[in-house]
Amino acid sequence: MTVGSLLIWALVIGLALYVTRAHPEAHGVRSARWLIIGGGVVFPTTVLTALLIYGLMLIPELRATGDIDRRIEVAGEQWWWRVRYPQENGEAVELANEIRLPLGERILFRLSSPDVIHSFWIPSLAGKVDMIPGRITELVVEPTRTGTFRGACAEYCGASHALMNFQVVVMEPDAYRDWLAHQATLARAPTAEQARRGQQAFLANGCGACHTVRGTPADGRLGPDLTHVGSRLGLGADALPNDREALIRWIGHTGEVKPDVRMPAFGMLPVDELAALAAYLSELE
Amino acid sequence: MSHRPAEALYRLLMRPFAGLGQRLRHGSWRFRLAAAALTLVLLSGTGLLFAWSGLVPVAASSGHWPLTDWLLHFTMRSSVRTQSASITPPPLDDPSLVLKGAGHYATGCAFCHGAPGQERSLIVERMTPAPPFLPPRIAEWGPEELFWIVKNGIKFTAMPAWPALGREDEVWALVAFLEQLPGMSPQRYRELALGPGAAATVPRLQAPTDAPDALLADCARCHGDDGLGRGLGAYPKLAGQREAYLLASLRAYASGTRQSGIMQPIVAGLDDQALQALARHYAGLPAPATQEAPPAPPAQGEALARQGLPERGVPGCVHCHGPTSTPRNRQYPEIAGQYPGYLALQLQLFRDGLRGGSEYAHVMHSAARRLDDEQIEQLARYYGAQPWSSRDRPAEPR
Repeated sequence: MTVGSLLIWALVIGLALYVTRAHPEAHGVRSARWLIIGGGVVFPTTVLTALLIYGLMLIPELRATGDIDRRIEVAGEQWWWRVRYPQENGEAVELANEIRLPLGERILFRLSSPDVIHSFWIPSLAGKVDMIPGRITELVVEPTRTGTFRGACAEYCGASHALMNFQVVVMEPDAYRDWLAHQATLARAPTAEQARRGQQAFLANGCGACHTVRGTPADGRLGPDLTHVGSRLGLGADALPNDREALIRWIGHTGEVKPDVRMPAFGMLPVDELAALAAYLSELE
Repeated sequence: MSHRPAEALYRLLMRPFAGLGQRLRHGSWRFRLAAAALTLVLLSGTGLLFAWSGLVPVAASSGHWPLTDWLLHFTMRSSVRTQSASITPPPLDDPSLVLKGAGHYATGCAFCHGAPGQERSLIVERMTPAPPFLPPRIAEWGPEELFWIVKNGIKFTAMPAWPALGREDEVWALVAFLEQLPGMSPQRYRELALGPGAAATVPRLQAPTDAPDALLADCARCHGDDGLGRGLGAYPKLAGQREAYLLASLRAYASGTRQSGIMQPIVAGLDDQALQALARHYAGLPAPATQEAPPAPPAQGEALARQGLPERGVPGCVHCHGPTSTPRNRQYPEIAGQYPGYLALQLQLFRDGLRGGSEYAHVMHSAARRLDDEQIEQLARYYGAQPWSSRDRPAEPR
């Protein structure tokens, strides 16, 4: 296609030079008519039609869902991403706010929304696809190089739309398999004393009403699964970096970090309890 | 001859006004407008001068002229009639509403308005206007008019507005009691307002004293000596509630972050030591000795309490309010075995943003925001039917 466009470009420039420099005098009626009808109507119509047909023929393959290697379900919710990786055993590993992909596999994203219209966009990998309440839209992606890419919501969806982002990590297939197997495991029990107190605080304050930590009584489905939250690259749909300081800020000042967020801020908790919560969550790797 | 100088003086004085009538009748509209404005300024100036002179009678001792009295009452009655026209009363024959209204009537109303078996104070009878002795006068008003008066109060009388304007449910409780007032026997009144023992004396429009016994006697009028809220659901069961939660709630009433026209005036006058003593007292009261077999909890309520409604953004209740296998925050109230009516009211108030509370109250706002009335009813019945023993009560540090 590049060669074709270069040829056409050279032809047009050549013609322009020919009529302005080589033969600047007037052309005969007959040759001018041939030039206009042939070069202005027949030639572009033929070329563009051929290109259109070629392009249309490429689309089924791009959207083909038959030979895909893997499905990932993503729901855009105000203002975060619920990501489910269906497993061969029929169950799914539910994670949030981060997507990991194996290099070289064709992946079908099944996109949905429970609240308002969002748009799923990983600029480096594919175009935008809207996530529409009440229906499922699809997107096929085939990553060709490893790396970390930024994703974002590309449809205004409320006060914190601009803070609804995620990171996409394309990994070697082996590394990906190990990562997913680890994410499917239950949360590890806290080891450090502070983290143990953090787990008690997590359960005592009712965090489990909205968040799941697999392997503990926390089984809420409203907010992001936190079973391995400590392993994520960002917090609050990439609104903050993932470290203890940011965790304390997020838990204590949720609505200031992310306006109108559903999660109530827990800034009334004692400082040492917030620190213990942060220690517990960052240990959940 | 003798009145000639007087006539001369009159003419001299009237000279500036010569032809005034003529000009008013035939002059330009500008002249007439200026004349009207000048008249207005002169009249209001005269009125101000009269007020400044101090000759206006404001003494309550002198009362009103009959004409003033009639005009003021005519205005007041018309205003109440018109402004209450769009209010529709809820059902008011619920005994728990009557009981709740009775407790507050004794605290806040009886001092001025009297009660069955209790005359008004002689002091208030010398007010202008004197507050009416209510029992025989209630029938003059419709329930919606009583609601309007109790909620808004009446300017230029001593009738105050409801201390917590958002709590219309409390105002209706008082109206429910007022509706029962005509013909109520003194015994019935004492039983409703002062409790079955009726050992307490009627408080006199002031915060109860900090003396622990007197204080508890006053609380017991409504919450019962046993802290079980007198059985109807008008008042919550406080016995065995967590001390941290009780104290946080009392402090919230005292500071006004939890709104109630009934509790706020009582608690606002107490110091923090008294609040701590009260919280400790009620937290230490034992569970009811005999418990009626709780009705089977509704299955729908149980599912709601355990899982919430994730698709509607409603979290489950059990993580904060039990039953759970792990300890819960001491600031979260125990609600197992609480009166369903009380629980449903609190959920409605949380949902509608009308109930504050401790610094944890906003968590309930976000939890209750998307509940409908049916779901609230189911949840209240579920928790009301939970056995007291499901409460999580490790010993509290004393």
